[in-house]
Amino acid sequence: MDEGPLGTFEEQVMLCVVRTGGDAYGMSVRRELERVTERDIAIGAVYATLDRLEAKGLVASSRAGTGGASRRVFSVTSDGARALAESRAMRDRLWRGVDVLRLLAGER
Amino acid sequence: MPPARVPERLPPLPWLPAAVLRALLPHAERDEVLDDLAGEYGDRAGRDGRWPASAWVWRQVLESVPSLLRRSWWRGWSGFEPQANRTRPGGPMLESWIMDVRYATRRLRSRPTYTLLAVLTLALGVGGTAAIYSIVRGLLVDPLPYRAEEQIAVFWSPFDWTEQEFLYLRSDFAGFSQVAAYRTGDLTLQLGDAPARLVPAIASSFELFDVLGTAPLLGRGFRDGDDRTGAEPVVVLSHGLWQELGGDASIVGQRLRLDGAERTVVGVMPRGFWFPDPTVRAWVPTPLLETNQSGNYAFVGRVAPGQRIEAMGPAISRLVARLDERYDYPAQWDKTKNTTLTPVREFLVGSLRPALLATLAAMGLILLIACANVATLMLGQVDSRASELAVRSALGADRRRLTQQLIAEALAVGLAAGAVGALLAAVAFRFLVAALPLGAWAETATLRWSVFFTAMAIAVAAALVIALAPVVSLWRGDLRGALTRARTSGIGGRGGSMESSLVVAEVALAVLMAAGAGLLIRSVAKLYDIDPGVNTTEVAVLDISTGGGLTAPQRRVLLKDLSREVGALPGVRSVAAAQRLPLRGGGDNWGIDVEGKPELETTTTAFRVVTPGYLEAMGMKLRSGRTPAESDGPNAERVVVINQALADKYFPGEDPIGRQLGTGFEGWERIVGVVGTAAEGKLTDDPTPARYMLYEQVPYVPEDNSLVIRVQPGRDPAAVLDAARRTVQRVAPSVAVQEATTMGRVFAKAVGPARQVMALLAILTTLALVLGAVGVYGVITHFVNRRKRDWSIRIALGQAPGHVIGQVVGRGARLIVAGIVVGLVAAVALARLIASLLYGVGTADPLSLAGATSALLAVGLLAAWIPGYRASRTDPALVLREQ
Repeated sequence: MDEGPLGTFEEQVMLCVVRTGGDAYGMSVRRELERVTERDIAIGAVYATLDRLEAKGLVASSRAGTGGASRRVFSVTSDGARALAESRAMRDRLWRGVDVLRLLAGER
Repeated sequence: MPPARVPERLPPLPWLPAAVLRALLPHAERDEVLDDLAGEYGDRAGRDGRWPASAWVWRQVLESVPSLLRRSWWRGWSGFEPQANRTRPGGPMLESWIMDVRYATRRLRSRPTYTLLAVLTLALGVGGTAAIYSIVRGLLVDPLPYRAEEQIAVFWSPFDWTEQEFLYLRSDFAGFSQVAAYRTGDLTLQLGDAPARLVPAIASSFELFDVLGTAPLLGRGFRDGDDRTGAEPVVVLSHGLWQELGGDASIVGQRLRLDGAERTVVGVMPRGFWFPDPTVRAWVPTPLLETNQSGNYAFVGRVAPGQRIEAMGPAISRLVARLDERYDYPAQWDKTKNTTLTPVREFLVGSLRPALLATLAAMGLILLIACANVATLMLGQVDSRASELAVRSALGADRRRLTQQLIAEALAVGLAAGAVGALLAAVAFRFLVAALPLGAWAETATLRWSVFFTAMAIAVAAALVIALAPVVSLWRGDLRGALTRARTSGIGGRGGSMESSLVVAEVALAVLMAAGAGLLIRSVAKLYDIDPGVNTTEVAVLDISTGGGLTAPQRRVLLKDLSREVGALPGVRSVAAAQRLPLRGGGDNWGIDVEGKPELETTTTAFRVVTPGYLEAMGMKLRSGRTPAESDGPNAERVVVINQALADKYFPGEDPIGRQLGTGFEGWERIVGVVGTAAEGKLTDDPTPARYMLYEQVPYVPEDNSLVIRVQPGRDPAAVLDAARRTVQRVAPSVAVQEATTMGRVFAKAVGPARQVMALLAILTTLALVLGAVGVYGVITHFVNRRKRDWSIRIALGQAPGHVIGQVVGRGARLIVAGIVVGLVAAVALARLIASLLYGVGTADPLSLAGATSALLAVGLLAAWIPGYRASRTDPALVLREQ
């Protein structure tokens, strides 16, 4: 389903799912997000976003481990990967021709 | 709840945030999330200490709450369940509720007829009840604008006390902290060159505001000495009048021209303050005189601290003893008898109570009928859903969840009905305020937002009551069995006993209302049957106040001028004036002596000062002699016309013409005529003896008089009022017109609240009858549909259609008769509620009860006949093939 471009937080969450490799569960994704973004992230926000992404078919979840010790682990689907690539391509297009160094130097 | 798996060496998570999180997470994720959180909490506690770690947990949970709530909402709405949680689905309660409400709205949308019927039926009841409840609360429950109103009481014999009595008692009102005397004293207000206008006002002793305990918004109230002769005349304004005069705080200290004299404004009362009714707009202290013995004051007192109104017996006895010592009252006005204190609320708004409560009760009954109706509708739905519910339960849905679904559906109907009902309430509110006999209190009834919330609250409560019926039926029913039955479409095991009892209840409630309405209709008919002795169709009335600034001769001239000028208007036959009109509750009783009968007890009769031509204009019939004429001038012999009641009382078997009466003026007046008895007091009083004299021949001309305008036959008296009012303002700008009305309306007012309540109750009863009929119709239709196969077989086997109709109607009739019996018993038991509105009929009036019975029978049988007729037309081939 086409839900338009990824939201920033959605993109960050997906990237962190990828970055944590095969061990992407709620808390590990949250920790990774905090580490990279250097911001406090609430666990509830991570789970809510992961649910939404799963409903859109961009991530999938499954159970790892057994019985009471089992965990819901996430992986990015091929649709998700495409969405990430799309998002990045769009950003690159937007960046084309923008000389951020000149802007930072205060020139117009 | 299972304990989170926390390694032994770690401190456990603070319980409160853990519980919050647990309540908001889906079942499948609870443990792992809490474990992970506890793990990190442990790490942080080891690294940074307990407190920073706890703070971190709190922050995590609090920041998670909004997104988790949003997720629950979204999951409930979309039904999303992650792949990983499939084996242990579900989440917080919120989720399943949202799912069920959503399912219910979808179901309701797909059955628009059922939904519309249910929502509208309920909205009618809810809206009406919310509107009337808001009015009732505003008038009967909300506190009066006085401090500690439970300490304020009004003395017996209100508006019969004199200034002399007040001054005599004032020195020692033992048991009271203060007592004030007040009377109505309307004022004319003249602003610049504008025509004078009337300001309803109260004249009182200085204690009034202290007794009421209300502090003014601006300036001061009255103070000791304001009510002495020679004191500076002052006035306290109501908030409303102050606003009309510009709403400027500098008004305190300014002077206003009231009753032709200057008065200094000393205070403004706060918004919402009223006493003794909301139309009063000014309060003035009145100079109290030892010599004034005209009885027109009421005493209102605040009991001493620690005293209670009910326990004032000893204090009252002392007061009565002092009165007894000083005064020798005639038997009919003995103020030492029937000495009771009336709590101020009872005194001021008590008269509204029966009408309001009767209307509220009627509305409540309608609401109950509506609830029963919607409940039967829902029961029918449950029945037709039996197989759906059975399948669900077979697939593992527990009864709790099925119950939740039914409640969700009822709530969805309830919320919709609440919204529609609130709209209806807003519309009905104005209608009700106008239709109820609120009089001056209509001003205090304002539409507030609380009506909306009341409607919503009532609707939700009603929805829960409604859900009870299908839920009980669900829990009692045999769901699995329904599945087998559904396939054969046989006659249900349950005979719909709950539906039947709901319909019996509906019919009973409708009978109850119809009986109440019947009683009122009969009362009002009896009241209208009373002959008031005056013409009520061709007479317009203009109540005017000449203000205090004129002498008696000036007033006489003024009345003559006004009569002449108004009489010249087109369509007017004649104009006369009188100081007091019939049907307005009496008053102005003067002592009477009969020449040659000194043995008669000293007593009084109604005394009316009129212009020549008044008796003709009013349509009073001359029985003998003549009516007063222009020739009966100030220097001619004083004449008096008496009515038949007076003649019967003082001249039984004699001819009163030519005899003489004494009124307390110098000398005697000669009786020149006898007229038919008009209702000079209340409409329902016994014939009131009254006598009529001319303004030209009495030394006394009051400030307030009424112009009586007799129009040409066939004309509408109301049509001349506007022109008459303008004429008065042109001829005499200082005269204020208090009220412009017609004798027809005066008569209607004299008939009293019963008339208005009757109209309202008649409308509500119609509504109840319609709702009751819809209920009967619905249940019988359902009954017929369930037995479709039955009818088909019978018809196929040759049963006559009339027989089928008979059977169906017979079933309906059993329910209706049962309802009528219950309703009649309730009607007889509850008629006391409206007893004070009744006239001439007992509370168990057979005619009203018979009327209610036949109305319900007729409407109910018709409602049962329609589905019966339809059953008789069943095409057996069609039905049996369908099965």
